[in-house]
Formats: sequence, C-alpha cells, structure tokens
Amino acid sequence: MAEHAGLMATAAWLVWIVPFAAALIMPALKRWPGRVPGWAAIAGAAASALLAASLLPGALSGEEVHAQTSWIAAVGLEAGVLADPLAVIMANVVAWISLLIVIYATGYMKGDPNIVRFWFWIMFFVGSMQLIVLSDNLLQMFFGWEGVGLASYALIGFWYRDKKKDHVGTEGRTVLGMLDYYAPTHAGMKAFIMTKIGDIMMLAGMFLIFAYAGTFGFRELVGDTAWAVAMDTQGLLVPALVLLFGGAIGKSAQFPLNEWLLEAMTGPTAVSALIHAATMVKAGVFLVARLGPIVFALGAAGLLADQFFEVIAWVGAITALLLATQGMVNPEIKKVLAYSTGSQIGYMMMAFGVAGLSEQFVDGYTAGFYHLISHAMFKASLFMAAGSLLHVVGSRFMTDMGGLRHHMRKTYAFVWAAGLALMGAPFITTGFWSKDAIFASVFESGSEWAMPIFAIAVITAVITAFYTTRMIGMVFFGPKSDHVKRLESEGRGIHEAPLSMWVPYGVLAAVTIAVGVMGLAFEESLHALFGGYLEGSFGIHSPHGEEAHGALPAPLSGLNPVALGASLAAFAAGIGLGYAFYVGRWIDPARFVASNPVFRGMHTVLLSRWYINAAIYWCFVVSPLWLARGVFRYFERTAIDTGMNTGLERAARWAARVVQGAQTGVTQSYLYVFGAGLLFVALMLLM
Amino acid sequence: MDHILLQAVFIPLLLSPVAYLVGRRHGMAAVTWFSLAVLAYCTALVAIASLDGGTEERHAWTGMFGEFGLVVDGLASPFAIMIYALSAILAVYSRPYMEHKFAEQYREAHGEGGGAVALAEYVRAKSGTYHALYLVFAMGMLGTVLATNLIQFYVFFEVMLIPGFFLIAFWGDGPRRKIALMFFFWTHAGAVVLLLGFLAIGLSAGTFDFAGIAAASIDADIVLVAAVAIAIGLGVKLAAFMFHIWLPWVHGAAPTPISALLSPVMIGIGAYGIFRLIMELLPAAFSELSVWFHVWGLVTMIYGGAMALMQDDLKRLLAYSSISQMGYLLFGLGSQSVLGLAGAEMMYVTHALGKGILFMMAGVIIVRVGTRSLSRLGGLAGRMPITATCAVIGAITIAGVPPTSGFMGEWLVFYGALETAVEEGSTLRYVTFGLGLVATALTMSYMLWMIKRVFFGKMPEGLAKTREAGWHMLAPMMVLAGFTVVLGIYPDIFLGQIVPYMSGVAGGGPLGPGMATELAGVGSAIAPGVGH
Repeated sequence: MAEHAGLMATAAWLVWIVPFAAALIMPALKRWPGRVPGWAAIAGAAASALLAASLLPGALSGEEVHAQTSWIAAVGLEAGVLADPLAVIMANVVAWISLLIVIYATGYMKGDPNIVRFWFWIMFFVGSMQLIVLSDNLLQMFFGWEGVGLASYALIGFWYRDKKKDHVGTEGRTVLGMLDYYAPTHAGMKAFIMTKIGDIMMLAGMFLIFAYAGTFGFRELVGDTAWAVAMDTQGLLVPALVLLFGGAIGKSAQFPLNEWLLEAMTGPTAVSALIHAATMVKAGVFLVARLGPIVFALGAAGLLADQFFEVIAWVGAITALLLATQGMVNPEIKKVLAYSTGSQIGYMMMAFGVAGLSEQFVDGYTAGFYHLISHAMFKASLFMAAGSLLHVVGSRFMTDMGGLRHHMRKTYAFVWAAGLALMGAPFITTGFWSKDAIFASVFESGSEWAMPIFAIAVITAVITAFYTTRMIGMVFFGPKSDHVKRLESEGRGIHEAPLSMWVPYGVLAAVTIAVGVMGLAFEESLHALFGGYLEGSFGIHSPHGEEAHGALPAPLSGLNPVALGASLAAFAAGIGLGYAFYVGRWIDPARFVASNPVFRGMHTVLLSRWYINAAIYWCFVVSPLWLARGVFRYFERTAIDTGMNTGLERAARWAARVVQGAQTGVTQSYLYVFGAGLLFVALMLLM
Repeated sequence: MDHILLQAVFIPLLLSPVAYLVGRRHGMAAVTWFSLAVLAYCTALVAIASLDGGTEERHAWTGMFGEFGLVVDGLASPFAIMIYALSAILAVYSRPYMEHKFAEQYREAHGEGGGAVALAEYVRAKSGTYHALYLVFAMGMLGTVLATNLIQFYVFFEVMLIPGFFLIAFWGDGPRRKIALMFFFWTHAGAVVLLLGFLAIGLSAGTFDFAGIAAASIDADIVLVAAVAIAIGLGVKLAAFMFHIWLPWVHGAAPTPISALLSPVMIGIGAYGIFRLIMELLPAAFSELSVWFHVWGLVTMIYGGAMALMQDDLKRLLAYSSISQMGYLLFGLGSQSVLGLAGAEMMYVTHALGKGILFMMAGVIIVRVGTRSLSRLGGLAGRMPITATCAVIGAITIAGVPPTSGFMGEWLVFYGALETAVEEGSTLRYVTFGLGLVATALTMSYMLWMIKRVFFGKMPEGLAKTREAGWHMLAPMMVLAGFTVVLGIYPDIFLGQIVPYMSGVAGGGPLGPGMATELAGVGSAIAPGVGH
C-alpha cells in the first residue's frame, strides 16, 4: 500500500516536471530537422497526460496523494504535491486538452522559423499550469502562477516583429483618443502587467494569511483554524481572502482586469486555445475551487466569510454580462471567442460564489467545475477551428469570411457542435447541463442576491446564444465576402484544414456531444465525487436529501424546473434572434443598428468596450507617464541636476572668483591688509 | 589555510602592478586571463571562508584604531561572494568591450591613421592600466565588506573610490573627466559625513572595533546623531532618493563593465553598511530609524522607477533602475523583521545578478550596434537571440518574477514588511507595504518596456546586419542568467546563511538588549504565525 502511494506521489510530481523537462530540451533540438521538435512536444504532453490519467482511478475512489519534500529550509518551507480529486480531475482536463492543442499546433505552426521557441514556451506553459494544479501550498503555486504569466507574455508576443497582419483591432479606430489597435509585443506586455496587478493582490493576501497561519499549505490551513479566528478578530480575514481572489481576477480576466484577454489574441491561435481552454484563465477558477472549500469550512468554526463569496459571485456575474454584450458586436472572430471565454468564466465564478452563500455548497461547486470542464472542451475546439479559418482565409475579420460552409464541411460541422455547446443546446451538449446546473444552484441558493444574479445569468445566456449564432452565420452562411472572392480569383480558394488540425477539434467537438448526451449522469457522478471529497477533506456536509422535483418526467427528475425553463427559453431566444439576423438574414443587422440613435449609441458603446479599456489606459498609462515626465523635467532635471550639480559648480566658481579678487599682486595693498591685521591683533591683546 | 581572508583581500592589490606589466608586455588576452585567475582564486577563498559558519581573522594594527580584522559571517558572505564573483566574470567581459573602447579612443586621438600595429600597441598599453585599476577596485569593495573596525571600513570605502575615479576619467563616455570628478566629489562628500559619524561613535566608545562598540554603552543622543550621519553617508553611496544626484551620470558614463560593477555591487555596499554599522552596532538607533528607512526606501523605489520610464539612454535607464532597486533594499532594511532583513540582503544578490546581466546587455548593444538610444533600437531579438534571452532573464529577475532569484528577494522583503505591520498594527507600515507591492508593477513596466524597445517590435534601418556578440560577452551573461534561475528555485544557497544570521541579530542573540525587546515578537518569525 505504501509502495502504491509512493508511486502515485511520483506520478503527481512528474505530471508537472515532465512538461518543464520537455521545455528544457527544446533549445537542444534547434539544429534538428523540421518535425523533431514538434514530436518532442507531443511526447512530453502525452507523457504528462498519461501520468495524469494514472492518478485518475485513485482520485475517483476518493484517494488523496500528498507528498512533501524540503525546499527553502532556511525559512522552514516545503514543496509538495497535493493530488486530491479536485487536482487530479483538473490535471487531466489540462493535460488532455493541451495534448490535443499541441498536436494541432504541429500543423498550425508548420514551417515557422522560430518553432523551437514556440515549443519551449508551450511546454513551459503547460508545466506551469500543472504546477498550479498540483501544488500543495500557495507559494509554490505562485511559481506556476507567474510561470503562466511569463509564458503568456512570451507567446502572446510570439510574433515580436509587430507585422501588420499580427495586430488585433481595427487600424485607425480610436476610443476616447486611445488607439484600439494593438501590436503583439504591446499585447504581451499588457497581459503580463495587468495580470501582475492581480498577482500583487494575491501576494498581499498570501502574506497576510502566512503572517497569521505560519503556513502556505492548503491542508495545513484546513487542519488548524486558529489563524482565521485571529484574523477575524482583527477584521482581516475577508480582506485577505478577497485579495487572494484578486489573483484570480487578474489571471481569469474578470472585471475589472479583463481587458488584457482581448489583446491576447495577437498570439498564434494555438496559444489562444491553450490560454482559454486549458491554461492561464482556468488558473483563476482553479484557485477559487481550491480556496472555496477552505473558506466555507471555516463556517463550522463560526467564521462566516459571506462577503468573500459575494464578491466572487458578483464579479462573476458582472463579467459574464459585460463581456457577453461586447461579443455581440465585435467583427473579429477570435475576439468574439475571447469575450465569450471571459463571460463563461464569469459563470463559473458565479457558481463558486453562490455555492459559498448557500447551504448546498457542493451543488454550486459541482456546477462551476462541470462548466469548467465542458467549457475547456468546446472552447478549445472553437478556437482551433477559428485558427483553421484564419489559416485558410488569411484574415481575422468575420466580414472577410462568409459562405464557407460548402468549402470547409468538417470545420463547419465541428463549429456547430462546439457552438451549440457554448449556446447550451438542450439535452445533447455538455454546455447545456453545466449551465443548467449553474442556473439551478443560483436559483436554489437562497441567498439574498440569488434573484438578481439569476436574472443576469439568464440574460447572459440569451446573449451567448445570439453571438454564437452570429459568429457561425457570419463565417459560414450568406454570400462570400469580397476577400474570399479575391482569394478564389487568385487561385487560392478555400479548402479544408489539414488532418493534423481538424482531427483535434473534431475529437473535442465529438466528445462535447458524447458527454452531453449522458450529461446528467456525468453531472451526478461528479456531484457524488465532490460530495465525498468535500465531506472527507473539509468536513463540509451537504444536507441534500433525494428530493425529486415532481414536476418533471423521470429522466430529468433531478433538475430544477425553473432553471430548466429559463435555460430552454434563453437558448431559443438567442438562437432565434441570431438566426434571423445572420443565418436566415431576414433583417440586415447594419440597417437595424442604424435605424435609431439608441441602437447606434449602444453599438458604439459595446464596440468601444464600454470605454473601460480606454479609461484604464488614461488612468494607468497616460497619466502616470505624464506625471513622471513632469517630475523628470521639473524636479530631476531642475532641482537635482541643475540645482545641485551645476549649482555647486557655479558656487565654487563664484567663490574662487571672490578669493581671486583679493589676489591683486600689488605689494602696497598686501601691506595695508597686513598692517590692518597687526593693528587688529594688537587691539585684541590690549583689550 | 592561514590568513585566507587576508589573502583574498590583498592578493589583488599586490598583483595589481603585475597585471599592469602583463598587460603591457603580453596584451589584453593575457591580462584578462591573469585577472580572471586572480579573482577566481580569491572568490574561491571567500567561498571557502564562508563555509561552516564563516571565518574571522584578527591582525595587529596601529594601537590607535584597534585591530585589523577580517570577518566573513552570514551577513558578509553573500556580499563578499557576489563582489568577487561578479568582478571575475566581468574581467572576461571587459576584454571585447574595452578593446572596442580603446580603439574608439585611439581613433578619437589619432584619427584613422597610424595603422593596425600602432593601434595594437595602444590597446596593449591601456589594457595593463585598466586591469591594474580593476583589481584594486574589486579589492576595495571586498575590504569594506570584511572590515571589523570603523577606520578600516572607512579606508577601504575610500580605496574603492580612487580606481573608480580613474576608470571613469580614462575610459568613460561623454564629458568623462567632469563626471568622474562628480563621482569622486559626491561619494567623497558622503564618505566624510560617514567619517564624522564614525568619529562620534568611536571617540565616545573609546574604540573603533565593532566588537568593542557593540559592548560599549554610548549616550543615546550621540548614537542617534551618529546613526543619522552614517545613514546619510551610506545613503549617498546607495543613491537613495535626494542623494542619487551622481548616480545616473556616473553609471551612464562609466565604461560598461565598470557600470556593471558599480551599479549592482558597489552601491549595494551602502546597504551592507546599514546592516553592519547601524543595525548591528547601533540597534537602538536602528529601531528608531527603521520606519524612516522604510519610507525612504519606498520613495526611492517609486522615484527611481518613474524616472527610469522617462529615459531614452539605455544605460541611464538601468542607472535609474538601480536607484529604484536600492529602494527595495532600504525598504527591506526598514521592515525590521527577520525575513524582511534577509530579503533585503537577498535583493542585493539578486540585483547583482540581474543588473549585471542587463548592463552587459547594454555593453553588447553599444559594441555591436553603436548606439544606446532606445529610440534607435528595436527588433534585435532575431539578430542576437542569446543576448535577448539573457536580457529577458535579467529583466524578470529585476522585476521579481519566479523562477528567478528576484522573486526570492522580493517576497521576503514584502512579507517582512507586512509582518512588522501586523505585529505593530501600524497603519503607516500597512500603507507602505501596499504601495511597495504596487511599485513592483512599476518596476515590471519599465523593464518590459525597455526589453520591448531594444529587442522587439520593428527594426530601424541599418540594424539588419547586427551580429550576435562573441563568447567573451555571452558566456558571462549566460553564467549569471543560469545562476539567477538556480538561486530562484533553490535559494537556500544564500538564505541558509542569511536567515540564521538575521534571526541571531533580531532575536537578540549576541547583540544589545534594545534590539531584542524591539524585535521580540519577530524572533519567532522563522515560523511565523500570530494565530498560534
């Protein structure tokens, strides 16, 4: 038995070490011919995925692997892996989706001269994410946390030459005087610095907890709650937790640190898929999933951190709505998907937040995590498909596509499948079940905020279905755009993507549907697993009885009828509107928007990103630079340089001139002074 | 081995004339290897001396001042090792850079005429002088750090100034003599204030030996005044806010290998002085002043960072960045908790590594591109991939991103600051902690922006044929870049020495009772936890 545990622990270590090792050998492959680095990356990702899978049987039976080793002995800190059911499932999601994306990228990045750098950072990215997932303490997790930041910086700015085709945004368009057109290197910096703001908050929260608890370890924080009592009496508990959540806000692109996610689209599409489905933005959700039970379990000690969960729920709700609305109008396909990611992450946050506000912690917890899994699958699929479209069409604008469904049949089918999951098409997609679970958990939470958050969730669902249909309609339906016609006239007609590209997103689209068909059963087993996990590891008991909602027929008896109804209605409304505008093309959207000033104004506001991005630039880029310039000119240059350096020089010169003035060289005047001195001394003596 | 520290300090000084002759006779290559060998040997000596809890040597000196002692303990050893290690590495780096510089000055003086033979002769003559001064410079810095006596400290403190002055006056850029004079004047002025403080302490205690001063009871007023004088003197060295006048000029103008030594290694000795002279010898004054160090550090951090944003000259940008980094050191010093103090010392090490790499990168750009104006650079990553990689590692070390050593310094500094804030319940300290953390975003911004302007983006006309630097320049950068990552993952290499030392000081071990009561709560800070 001990031997078995040892093996499991080794596997857990290797899950994150193997990708790093693969990254480190990449530079050595520089001289090797074309495909070798790609194969090495696939091998690394596959090995990591198999190792993660080997942990799965144990985790499903509720086992927990926790191994530690000495690290910063001087400060008494240890490194460790914690492979509990939460971490193992997450690790598997990350590993398998990354593997598919890596396979896809071998096709997508074919022939790139900097391929070794690409693979280095991809593997570094995956390794960092697995480090976050499997760490047993906050400090070690922070290494992975910054690792994904670093990798995203390097990969978003991968095409560092800032060629025009690699920019995002519309050239020349400004919002409040700020250009809405970004180069890859700028976008990479923006991502790194904006997430750093979140990281700063997270560090502050970590340190506060460490100051009281003396440990960064997740398990240790649960074991002894004296730290929380002490913090609570000083009123620091909730601030510290909210600060920790700040890290998640940054990494997961939640309001108000959401703006970096859009510019992150300058990276190669495989990178976007990785960021949105498997690594980076999911890290924030995972952090909340890690901390949520710890905080909720404090309730047993009489410490209610409701405000913490309220902040999470509201940040999630606001982000979900805010980003979904912007997804309705953006012309760039990857940006629409990016808005959608932020919005869907908002759903997850909403679920975790509401979970903490309700008696049934496990319901919201399962719903949030289920949505994380299903989103990982369909969003990865959508992004990779979008990459194929970009690859074939050579433009990031949906207005340059149109009518592609006859030419790219496979992609068309897969985008529909994954898109339906995003919209939450009833009964056959994972997206439906997970979103419905979120609706139900919000609705049933009994929190005072349940109704407004529920309303936001439903409205967002309508918008989600609308913008997804819009995207599909603009890309695959309608007449061909001028751009496509020009490509065809040049003999570079539209064709299906190569095998290595469409297979990965095909697989994911198929899995999305397959899991969706048996979605309720999947949800129930996840629910049972997390129920046991939360009970066993945190002592969170869920008083859920087997209360059937009698209104529904037997196969759906576990569902909440209101949530189900809202979900169905939202889907129908969204897809109906989208169909009318963009697939059936019964109404011209441009004319519709132009028809009255209110719509026009709304369109401008949404296209201008609610002015949040521009406001951030004004407050945190333009103004500080202006201030720094002022200080440099009028203080550093004037007071310090001129005042002290030049001033001193002048003073010395002036003093020299005064002294020089006395050196006349005339003997008489020297004698006069000498005589006067003598007289003075004589008088002094006489007095 | 006997007199191991004496050897480490005086071998470079004694061999400095030999270096001059080797340079004259055999040229740059030979003298480079000679310097490297000398400094590597001495680095090894220092490293050996710092094993097993350190080494202490005492030698008879003039009765008036006390003993001539040399000590390597948990505090001195990271400083000492970094000083010599970096000097050794930079000796290699100096070769291509200084050859380039000598040739440039030769052309300035003699025009293109004279031919290759005359140029080679000129380079040979200069290389001896350069390395002779270089060895004395390194030795002066080491002597300061190992000193156990105020007068001895002062002497070495001034010794490093003289070769520094000549190195800048001979081979600097721009108005180099004027700037060298500025360097000499301001740091000397600081040193004089320092000396006044020393005299006040030494004369009241009746001894200049550290051990004697720690044991003596001095009037509290004198202690405070002297501590302020010492802090000002060291503040000039540190280039803390308002005393940073000289630094951007000097670091911008000094020949790049010397900038790379001045900037991280030399100015940090100011922080060492605060550790050794104020924290250890005058603990009562230290507890009183620590909040001011804290605030001073914060202001320096933000000011340096903001000014770095405004620079177009690559080396000046790095100079302002050094000011900002010294702010982190002061900030950590002011935190007054074991981990904060340990973090401040770790920041010295990590700044030496990171800034060393970045100055070397600037030197590569100067040699290969011929400009240091950021507006005329860009997109060089493809032309010089190894330099770019090292520079990014250096930049994220300064920005404190794991897995570089920068993070290991930074988290300790900020955690230490917070811990004291929690202990004391001091709002001021909570605020400085918060602002300090936010300032890390500023650091990251100017670093990333600099990297972008040098290595990424569109390439200006005329840079398309830029070549990667030779291995004399690349190898030193790669060594430092590798070490910063190793240290970031396994910081115990230095923390294993620093933390026990700091907990000894702060825990009230061998030192005055004032410290012990002031920091009583922090003594347990190795395993913190107010809640337990």
